[in-house]
Amino acid sequence: MSAPPTTRIRLDGIGKTFVDARSGAPQTVLEDFSLTVDDGELVAVVGASGTGKTTLLHVVAGLTVPETGTVEIGRPRLGVVFQQPRLLDWLPVRQNVVLALEAAGLDPAGADPVLDAVGLTEYAGSYPSVLSGGQRQRVAVARAFAVEPDLVLLDEPFSALDELTARKLRLLLQELWMQRPRSGLLVTHNPLEAALLADRVIVLAGRPARIVAEHRVDRSRPRSAEDPYLFDLHTRIVAALA
Amino acid sequence: MTSTDTAAGRTAAAPAGRPTGTVPPPERPAVPAPPRRLLRAAGPAALFLVLAALAWQLMAVLLDSVLVPTVGDVVTELVGIVVDGSFAEQLGITVLRVALGFALAFLVAVAVGIAMGRNEFARRFFEPAVLLGLTIPGLVWALLCVIWFGVGLANPVIAVALASAPALVLTIYQGVRSVDPDLLEMAHVYRFSRSTRLRRLWLPALAPSLFAGARLGLSLGWKVIVLVEVFGMSSGVGYQLNNAFAGQNVGAVLAWTLLFAVVMAVLEYGVLQGLERRASRWRKVVSV
Repeated sequence: MSAPPTTRIRLDGIGKTFVDARSGAPQTVLEDFSLTVDDGELVAVVGASGTGKTTLLHVVAGLTVPETGTVEIGRPRLGVVFQQPRLLDWLPVRQNVVLALEAAGLDPAGADPVLDAVGLTEYAGSYPSVLSGGQRQRVAVARAFAVEPDLVLLDEPFSALDELTARKLRLLLQELWMQRPRSGLLVTHNPLEAALLADRVIVLAGRPARIVAEHRVDRSRPRSAEDPYLFDLHTRIVAALA
Repeated sequence: MTSTDTAAGRTAAAPAGRPTGTVPPPERPAVPAPPRRLLRAAGPAALFLVLAALAWQLMAVLLDSVLVPTVGDVVTELVGIVVDGSFAEQLGITVLRVALGFALAFLVAVAVGIAMGRNEFARRFFEPAVLLGLTIPGLVWALLCVIWFGVGLANPVIAVALASAPALVLTIYQGVRSVDPDLLEMAHVYRFSRSTRLRRLWLPALAPSLFAGARLGLSLGWKVIVLVEVFGMSSGVGYQLNNAFAGQNVGAVLAWTLLFAVVMAVLEYGVLQGLERRASRWRKVVSV
């Protein structure tokens, strides 16, 4: 990229406290937390469960309002893949994608190429209930990319799937990512997934969460999960986590 | 009859005209169901009806009283009011009153139920009204509405609405609480419009509660309308019952009651269940 990258997301001094449901004690998940994501950059946030990764993503998605700090993201068109597919079970697969397209003011016909890309053309008219868990997550991925998002948010997108299915979907995601430049935030507890997919990996630990390590991933796409460089990076992420 | 419907519905679960990917929808089994299955499904119910009629007849013969008419007397009354058209006419009047009252209750209950499920203040605000409403006997609503609204259409309509709304509100409120908040987040991040959310998310997600509430509300409505018509109206099934009662015509009382009950059961189980099956077609695919 010749021009200096512009900032897509700027989080500054974010603070968020939850009240623990059992003890009633306040839990500060994020405190004075700052992060930027450049345009065209995919940033992975890695951390153990409960380190505030999902809270962070919810703040960016506008699902959680932080108590302190500022969130600058403008009004990008979002494509979001959650840990669960979150499909409307009463609508056929294609209709699930079409609803997101219509809400974004796009042509419903855009559902077909993306369903083709995720290999679900023959299931377009099926209800989600006949699909496997992996196929349902593919629908969620198709929905996220169909809307031609400016910003893709991925919240542990493959952690509910078996490892073999998850691997296939990571490669599928990489393929979709390469089709055109966009920005993204990936939240995961899988260091290898972060190394494989992201341009920059941020490691979170502690409560409130702080950044304990940051790695730039100097590999062009497509990347392979067998790449020793990525494996080495994964080892360093694990070390930072521990 | 009801059990036959259900059994047939379950076996004929193939979604009509919906392609389901590589899983081919199984052919709808030839309708009507084989006689043996029909017998197994409807047999016990038919046996009950026959035995009940026999027991009644035995009692009528043994007691030999004008207060306990024979099955033959009841059937004669029954055929009489059907043939001379009075049943259809009075039933039409009663059903219209129930339908209007129920529609009013349903509209209010959807609004209040959703508000209670979504808003803590609304929940606390409406809760006492719902709980009180649930415990007030239908008879009281009937009496009060006769006193307040006289003999106009407002009386039966408002009585039915008041009697059925609390149960409807409660069912819809519980339905709203059970809607997956994850789906609401999804609708938020994809910026679904208000109308898309209502039509594509809330209504389908609430459909089971709406149907359960409708069935409950209607069954309460039937009971109240008869009381209102007994006390304060000069037409309708309840009025006819009161007439028969005043003339000490027990056969007519039984004939009106039986016919009314059968029609209501057909509406409730036939029509409502049919609609519900249509609305939940997508669920059936799971069993394919």
